[in-house]
Amino acid sequence: MSEIKLDALDDYRYRIARNETLGMRTDVLVFSSPVLIEHVKKDQSLGQAVNVATLPGIVGPSLAMPDIHQGYGFPIGGVAATDVEEGVVSPGGVGFDINCGVRLVRSTLTRADVKGRMKQLIDQVFRDVPCGTGTEGRVKLKHGDIDKVLENGARWMVEHGYGEAGDTERAEAGGAMKGALPGKVSDRAKERGAPQLGTLGSGNHFLEIQYVDRVHDASAAAAMKIEKDQVVILIHSGSRGLGHQVCTDYVALMNQVMPKYGIQLPDRQLACAPISSSEGQSYLGAMAAAANFAWANRQGILHFLRDAFGRVFGTDVRLELIYDVCHNIAKEETHVVGGRRRNVLVHRKGATRAFPAQHPELPPSYADIGQPVFVPGSMGTASWVLTGQPGAMAETFASVCHGAGRLMSRTAVRKGKNITEERRKLEDAGILVRSESRDGILEELPEAYKDVDEVIEVVHNAGLAKKVARLRPMGVIKG
Amino acid sequence: MNFEILEHPADVGFRAWGDSLEDLFGNCAGALISIILDPSNVERNQRWDLEAEGSDRESLLVNWLNEVLYYVDTRRIVFDSFAVRFQEPFRLSCEATGEHRTPEKHPVRVSVKAVTYHQLLLSKTGPEWIAEVFVDV
Repeated sequence: MSEIKLDALDDYRYRIARNETLGMRTDVLVFSSPVLIEHVKKDQSLGQAVNVATLPGIVGPSLAMPDIHQGYGFPIGGVAATDVEEGVVSPGGVGFDINCGVRLVRSTLTRADVKGRMKQLIDQVFRDVPCGTGTEGRVKLKHGDIDKVLENGARWMVEHGYGEAGDTERAEAGGAMKGALPGKVSDRAKERGAPQLGTLGSGNHFLEIQYVDRVHDASAAAAMKIEKDQVVILIHSGSRGLGHQVCTDYVALMNQVMPKYGIQLPDRQLACAPISSSEGQSYLGAMAAAANFAWANRQGILHFLRDAFGRVFGTDVRLELIYDVCHNIAKEETHVVGGRRRNVLVHRKGATRAFPAQHPELPPSYADIGQPVFVPGSMGTASWVLTGQPGAMAETFASVCHGAGRLMSRTAVRKGKNITEERRKLEDAGILVRSESRDGILEELPEAYKDVDEVIEVVHNAGLAKKVARLRPMGVIKG
Repeated sequence: MNFEILEHPADVGFRAWGDSLEDLFGNCAGALISIILDPSNVERNQRWDLEAEGSDRESLLVNWLNEVLYYVDTRRIVFDSFAVRFQEPFRLSCEATGEHRTPEKHPVRVSVKAVTYHQLLLSKTGPEWIAEVFVDV
């Protein structure tokens, strides 16, 4: 990648100018900092952002968020908008975990209320919320139900007793994306995913019981009804095996049909087809169905979480959804590009939508503050609540970061580590951890990740999002 | 050992060797399973017939491993041997043996989402075939 020349534009922006010899159709714009950019240079993520800039019909720059790291085809933390009429859709630009995302739940408890009962609480949550790697989930679907879940997402769950009416009002797209085509999801994907509905999954997925450590924006925090020392719960999961299989199926299909459309790409994992083609439309219908499965999945987890809190603290304790955002998705949106309104398909691969205040898609309670954005850090550090700002609309197709970004490989972080010692270190820091597997903890240790606070400084100071609150973990469940 | 695990900033990969393409494809399948769970103590009490096809060698390898992943992840089977036979240049069948897995006997170490084309390598060096494959976990 010696041809890649990275220019610093200011303290938070870096550019790789369009280079036609690399097949680039546009620039790459990286949001980063002098510290973070050095990490970015160590892996292949910038080369992957350059490859994204070769996608037919790309509009605006290929974007990289400050948590960018090497992924497959697209970098994780990558954003690309393509013209809906002339552009392509790339399943790799959404990722294998379609609608992987986070939902933040507020409780009516304070840090002091749970302090002496954290062990009881985390053990109860660990019993009630299935991780799903060894056992099946607890949402039992009857024949034909799966297609209804794929059409109606979190709404189906609420209608069938897995939630409260308010849960779907405060989720991106109301917890059910339009345009889902369950018939375009293979039987194999349904077979793989259906038993996993309402389960966390493994890898970097988690459920964290946290408290509000600091409030930075009192009025936005008030709109979200959170205050210092309040207990909140962050749930990070996606579409489980169903989404993985949809992506697998369509990467295979698009690899087959790319020659038909005369598309050549530097990386097969970027495989794509024109949005207007039958393959492109089938993928988008299947993707929306998988996205709905993910919202239903996170809804199921919230339901079981409520059960667990009720068992420990009684039924007076309320858990209410603040918002639910996805960070692996492709969405058709209208954006102003070069002074002109364009309909584009925004691929967000490890990036969170961040609409500013007054955007028509926001629920009324957040219209004045901007869309809530949740950025999980590592299990020993912190997570952040932000709101989308006008800068994101102007520069990043309304997108910001989605996490801290990995720094070390899973094998490297595990090396020489002892599970008992690591667990004790976290407990000494006031964090109880439960996991179905030893590796689930060791591979996700805090040192595996970049400093989430540094990532947040970039998006805050660049005007993409605004800090609202910082959250600290007390209990962590890893898949 | 006919494979080794490779590092990736976010995920996991493996490098596998084989005396023939058939041998290599079987060893890749074994490597994939070893990422997901501990493959020791697999009882050979059942046989499955697997198939895969692709448009070239690389896509055949990715599709084959995604087929194995389907059996392991969805049908909850753990294999101990693979007899791969190429039917056509880019189509294969395989007689695989193993058993239905239980969480008690073969707990899942990490779930693999998919096998990818990322940095995929498939080549012949002297008499030996070699492949490098990365999976999303």
